[in-house]
Amino acid sequence: MKMVVKYILIVAVFTLLLYHGTYFKNLQDVRQQRQREAFNAAEYARDFWDNQLPGVLDKAVDVKELIKLFNTNMAQAIERYGKAPGVSRVYAYLLKGEGPILEVNENGFKVSVEEPHTNPDVLIETGSYIPGNAVRDASGLIDVSKFSDTMKFNEISGEINKIVVKDVIESFLNKGPSSGRTVKFFGATQVAQDAAEENELELIKIIPIRLELE
Amino acid sequence: MTRRLFIFAVMTLALSALGCKQKKQESPDGQEARAKEKIAVIISTLNNPWFVVLADTAKTRAEELGYEAMIFDSQNDTAKESDHFENVIAGGYAAILFNPTDADGSIANVKKAKQAGIPTFCIDREINSNDVAVTQILSDNYAGCVELGQYFVKKMSQKGKYVELLGILGDNNTWNRSKGFHSVVDNYPELKMVAQQSAEFDRTRAMEVLESILQANPDIEAVFCGNDAMAMGAFQALVAAGKADKVMVFGFDGAKDVIDSIRDGKIVATGMQFPKRMARMAAEQANEYIKGKRDFQQKVPVAVELVTRENIAKYTAYGRQSNE
Repeated sequence: MKMVVKYILIVAVFTLLLYHGTYFKNLQDVRQQRQREAFNAAEYARDFWDNQLPGVLDKAVDVKELIKLFNTNMAQAIERYGKAPGVSRVYAYLLKGEGPILEVNENGFKVSVEEPHTNPDVLIETGSYIPGNAVRDASGLIDVSKFSDTMKFNEISGEINKIVVKDVIESFLNKGPSSGRTVKFFGATQVAQDAAEENELELIKIIPIRLELE
Repeated sequence: MTRRLFIFAVMTLALSALGCKQKKQESPDGQEARAKEKIAVIISTLNNPWFVVLADTAKTRAEELGYEAMIFDSQNDTAKESDHFENVIAGGYAAILFNPTDADGSIANVKKAKQAGIPTFCIDREINSNDVAVTQILSDNYAGCVELGQYFVKKMSQKGKYVELLGILGDNNTWNRSKGFHSVVDNYPELKMVAQQSAEFDRTRAMEVLESILQANPDIEAVFCGNDAMAMGAFQALVAAGKADKVMVFGFDGAKDVIDSIRDGKIVATGMQFPKRMARMAAEQANEYIKGKRDFQQKVPVAVELVTRENIAKYTAYGRQSNE
């Protein structure tokens, strides 16, 4: 009888230990949790900048063509070149151009891309920080649906903007851009579909991706 | 034997006729109705007019498409939400239009529905998963608050003390809004956030929280609120403290009372989300899914637009004058 009680106790203790020492989790949940914890927006943005973005710069549209389309056929501009991650009245564009700097101020430098280069057409932003998602969205390379939560998608944008400030703007400003000099640029802009009616096309604001002083 | 065969044939014909009749009913707009198909609209809370608009629009659109639609209120309680999912699964619903209570906590419910063969379409609030819901139609809170943050900096002339009232801490919208706002505002060292506290997206709670904050910080110049209900609560607290004309209030949603308050010069600005547009999209996509479509974008950000005293004429409650 004592033996039976002993065995029952041993089995009970063993069962108790097994119950508290073992747990089951859905493998997919564990993988997702790890993926979430392992995500590093700065690393993602750096890889995007160094390895992915250069591959799409050859698709950048000439800013002169874009300005013309904005003013004459916005629907075509959106269809051909505009990008948005979802439903929006604002589209992002990857663009390129060159022209003389007409004015340098704390927000950036105004550049004329149209002959006879008397009026500025674009403002290349060179502030101490860059807000928004222009570069991320204009590239068309980052798909929001790939992320389990959209915060990561947004953090990437913040990190890309930091790279723009550090790698593009700061190094360019060190070269001392001044009025009269010609700049070649790749960049991104965001323009609303009703920008023409709202008179918002006077000066296209560009987030720089590459800047070269001639 | 012949008689039995005859009865069997009659019964089979009767059942077939009944089935055909159900399939061939026509809805008012001429689309094929699904008399027995129901769509559930499970909403995080109906204690906020913005979500009432979201729920009502989803229900109305589903009904227009020929479905029977029912609204379930989770009262911001994940346990209640879970009960609703159990009932919806047991009730044989064809689809769920879902506004979650918790980005992580609600995943299990959507998973349960998926396992039961019921597709879920998230609206406005996100779940932290990209493979259980059919699609998630979400306000682009981060980008909306970047724009709002830029306007905030301009109105504050880049300096001054302010307070931030956060929403529900487990909701991704809370953090997407806050981080979008701070991605701009934190670049101005003379803008000092003296308090950041959750008022859980609730008007009364926001009033209480700001009343308490004002005791210790009577010299604030602005309050940034993570939704419009809190903006109205904050404004009430400022009126009670006699500071309504000295402290600027910024909201987020585009709710009726805040749109009216911007027009009346009381609230400074808000971010217009489009609850009607999102709810209609979700109902339409559920209809497409039921009809056989399977290729949906998993996450669909819907842009938020800045509403200020300068452009208020273009907007109405919950949308733009032109198309909502």
